[in-house]
Amino acid sequence: MIFKIARTELLLNLMTFKFAVGTIICVVLMAVFMPVLVSDYQQRLKDYNQNVAANDAILRNVKVYKNITPTVYRRPSVLSIFSEGLEKRLGNSAKIEYESVPQINMTVTADNPFLSIFPSLDVSLIFKIVLSLLVLLFAYDAISGEREQGTLKLIMSSELPRYHFLLGKIVAGLVTLTVPVTMAFIVGLLILEFSPMVDLTGSDWARIGLIYVGSLVFISAMYNVGLLFSALAKESAVSLMLALLFWVVSVIVIPNASMRLATQIQPLQSREKIESEIASSINNLKRSERPKMWQQLARFTRGSASMHEGAFGRYYIRLLYRSEVEYRMKYYPLKDSFSIKCADKTWEIEHGYLNDLLKQKELAEKVSRISPISLYGNVMSAISGSDLAGFQYFIDGAKTYRNHVFEYIRTKTGNLSLPSYFTACTEEEMREYEERSNQVKNARNEAEKMKAQEAFDKWWSDTIAGQPALGLQDLPGFSYRSSVLSGLRRAAMDLGLLMFINVLFLALSFIAFVRYDVRSD
Amino acid sequence: MIRNIIGKEILENLLSLRFMLSLVLIISLFATGGFMFVGKHRQESNDYWEDTNRNLSSLREHTNHLYELVTCRQVVWRRPKPLSICAEGFENTLPDRFSFDPFTKDLPEVRSRSNFLLPHFSDIDWVFTISLIVSFVALLLTYDSICGEKQTGTLRLVLAGSIPRHKVLLGKYLGAMLTIGIPLLSGLMISLIVVVFYRAVEIDTGQWFKILTIVLLSFLYLSIFILSGIFISSLSHKPASSMVVLLLVWVGLVILIPSFGRIIAGTFHKIPARLDMENRVAEAIEQIKKDGGKFGKGALSWNSQEDNPPAAAKYYNAQVDARNAIMDEYLRQMLDQAYTGRYFTCISPAIIYQRASETIAGVGVSRVANLCQQIKRYQESLKEYIRSRDAGDPDSLHLLFQFPSDWVAQNWHAISHERVDFHSVPKFQERDLALAQSLKLAIWDIGLLALFNLAFFAVSFVSFLRYDVR
Repeated sequence: MIFKIARTELLLNLMTFKFAVGTIICVVLMAVFMPVLVSDYQQRLKDYNQNVAANDAILRNVKVYKNITPTVYRRPSVLSIFSEGLEKRLGNSAKIEYESVPQINMTVTADNPFLSIFPSLDVSLIFKIVLSLLVLLFAYDAISGEREQGTLKLIMSSELPRYHFLLGKIVAGLVTLTVPVTMAFIVGLLILEFSPMVDLTGSDWARIGLIYVGSLVFISAMYNVGLLFSALAKESAVSLMLALLFWVVSVIVIPNASMRLATQIQPLQSREKIESEIASSINNLKRSERPKMWQQLARFTRGSASMHEGAFGRYYIRLLYRSEVEYRMKYYPLKDSFSIKCADKTWEIEHGYLNDLLKQKELAEKVSRISPISLYGNVMSAISGSDLAGFQYFIDGAKTYRNHVFEYIRTKTGNLSLPSYFTACTEEEMREYEERSNQVKNARNEAEKMKAQEAFDKWWSDTIAGQPALGLQDLPGFSYRSSVLSGLRRAAMDLGLLMFINVLFLALSFIAFVRYDVRSD
Repeated sequence: MIRNIIGKEILENLLSLRFMLSLVLIISLFATGGFMFVGKHRQESNDYWEDTNRNLSSLREHTNHLYELVTCRQVVWRRPKPLSICAEGFENTLPDRFSFDPFTKDLPEVRSRSNFLLPHFSDIDWVFTISLIVSFVALLLTYDSICGEKQTGTLRLVLAGSIPRHKVLLGKYLGAMLTIGIPLLSGLMISLIVVVFYRAVEIDTGQWFKILTIVLLSFLYLSIFILSGIFISSLSHKPASSMVVLLLVWVGLVILIPSFGRIIAGTFHKIPARLDMENRVAEAIEQIKKDGGKFGKGALSWNSQEDNPPAAAKYYNAQVDARNAIMDEYLRQMLDQAYTGRYFTCISPAIIYQRASETIAGVGVSRVANLCQQIKRYQESLKEYIRSRDAGDPDSLHLLFQFPSDWVAQNWHAISHERVDFHSVPKFQERDLALAQSLKLAIWDIGLLALFNLAFFAVSFVSFLRYDVR
């Protein structure tokens, strides 16, 4: 009997104006959104590829181990088309160097801060806003509408149990609503599949599948909410009003108000304070460490050294005196360990600040969970990997990579004790450099000096020109893991809550419907 | 007769459930917004005064010698505005720290308490409530204004009388406007009462007029939705289908179109990355250094035999000019990019209304742009002040330029070493635009809103005249 009711309902639904309009709108919106978002993604991908290529090119030219300070980039995720999340707000790169520890940061410094007045745009917007509205428009008159027409009385006069009727309604409603969702997905995926530069991997397909399932759960939750309103009111106009006001509150009021509330309840320290704190603690470190460092270095006799611009905007030494080598071999490890100390100190403060930001965000999310639409948004961004945790994976990967790079440099330079760490100058060249400069210096008369200088200049330019790059074939590559399962795990709580809403509102509408007065006036 | 129709409309609406629910929702939103504003404004004012006083005391420390003013770097912050209760303009994510010396200024930065991990959100200010919630309520009130009456059969009765159709339409329109006015005005009152009661802000006469203008703008905006409700309602014969159409139109205009802003801005107005701009500055400065000879002998040297202060002044001024030209251009490009996004999303009345209210309230992107202009003028007046004070000192070389080092500042005597009276030094103060000026800026937006109104009125008039009431 449930099946029969569902079938009639379904046929009735399919013939309605709202179904036609809703499906067309969903498909059309998808067809408009998808190309725009895809072209935006392609642009980001192109930038990413350029950055990576430029970084590799510089890396191939590195001449001394000290200069290995590459930048690693996070590949823009295809699924940010479905849920933008924090994709464009957080930084997509991390510098691997002694002076800083990779940390989640914002792109605003590289981007235009004035663009923050615009909201984000992704495919989930269609589902969050248009589809949720459509669902409520289907559900609001499921019961109260039938009562108004008098058909409810007729049905109830038969032997049919009430829950059969309710279940039939739910099945029919969900099947009807699956049509626009599925069609929108198909259209979107077709556009995505046939766009150049976009290739979807197996894990992407798995994520898209999960997003589809999540969307269905969300729709059924909204349908049950609508059904409850329908079973609460006697007139369909009243249930429509209740449903629409519920919608506007959960789509607009709660997401905005929760964030405003969180920023008020848990105010942050101002960025200015954090930065001055960092500056002062670095100054303290400098004051306490620097003198010790110079003291250790004081015993060396210095010689001359020629600095040249190496890779990544850093300098290296091409030619130097034998005596200078000793000094430099002591100096660089000291300087680098000081840099690491500063970086760790900065990271400590930044990390504390980031934790405050996180706490505020968590509070905002907690409050916004009243709204099923926020729950759905969380599910989408967790599965797409555009949420904070997705970025954390990248940053953690960058941190590990930083250690790998340091380790690599250590093994290659005998724990920083070889001159190849900072120079490519061979023993012979050192000797020759010193000899030739001495010849210039010790020349007895002007003519001899001129001659020596000329010879020196020629030798100098010949030597400088020929400087082999390190090659770095065996430098470990950067990679980080972010699996579908971990995304699902992060989404689990919100998905569970959505399912709970399903069950709760189903139960409530069942109770309301059992007590429903089917007589029409 | 028209009065009767209006009266009937209002009474009917007042007794309906939708009116009660909307009243509760709107008033509670306004009240919440008021309370949140009070808390936020208090905190922001404290921050602002703390930062401003720090800046003033650092300025005071630089008044021992006149030349120190030349090297003094000032940091000013955006002043929290009382009118941000009306429109906040997403200022919590906009740059708020402006650092400058008399010659150069940095690009404005976001350095307040904002959290970059939070997605885009709006304060619960008036513009938020009105543009999103009250406009929605306006649709709920009017979606069945004509087809609903047709369904109940009363439209036939009304038109059987001698009243012309346009009077019925006008009556319905005014009735709906007055009905929506009740929750709107009471909400505004409550929000203002909260603010005044907590003495969070001082609102002066000029600001009261601005508030009044924003209220009028709100009515102009809501009238668009009421007219479109009547229009769609007079196109369809069933309230259910007119509701579906209206809701989709509303979602499109108020939510979807504004979301395209960022992508459109990024696609149609590309700007170079900040790093490129910094490289260009470095290149320009390098170029000037290369051409250093043309400023005179010894332009680049200090603390040596060849020192030539007049040539150095020319050289460093050329550097500053080159840097400023590139930086100003970049700032303009950034602003233009944001404006482009706004222009394209202006198909939506919500964006037009938002922009007009922001202009009147003096907040948002254009306010930051204006603040940058004011800082530029202040730099000029500061230089003018230094020049005029310096002119009285016979020992000084009267060369005003950005000193490359402390040594130059102290030893060259390019600018007088006399003591300065701190009170006579011009101090930066952000000036609000007067109502007339901001109205002039918002005139296009107001005109557009009026145009929307006229268009919707005309089409709903025509479609109602042709409406089949049977």
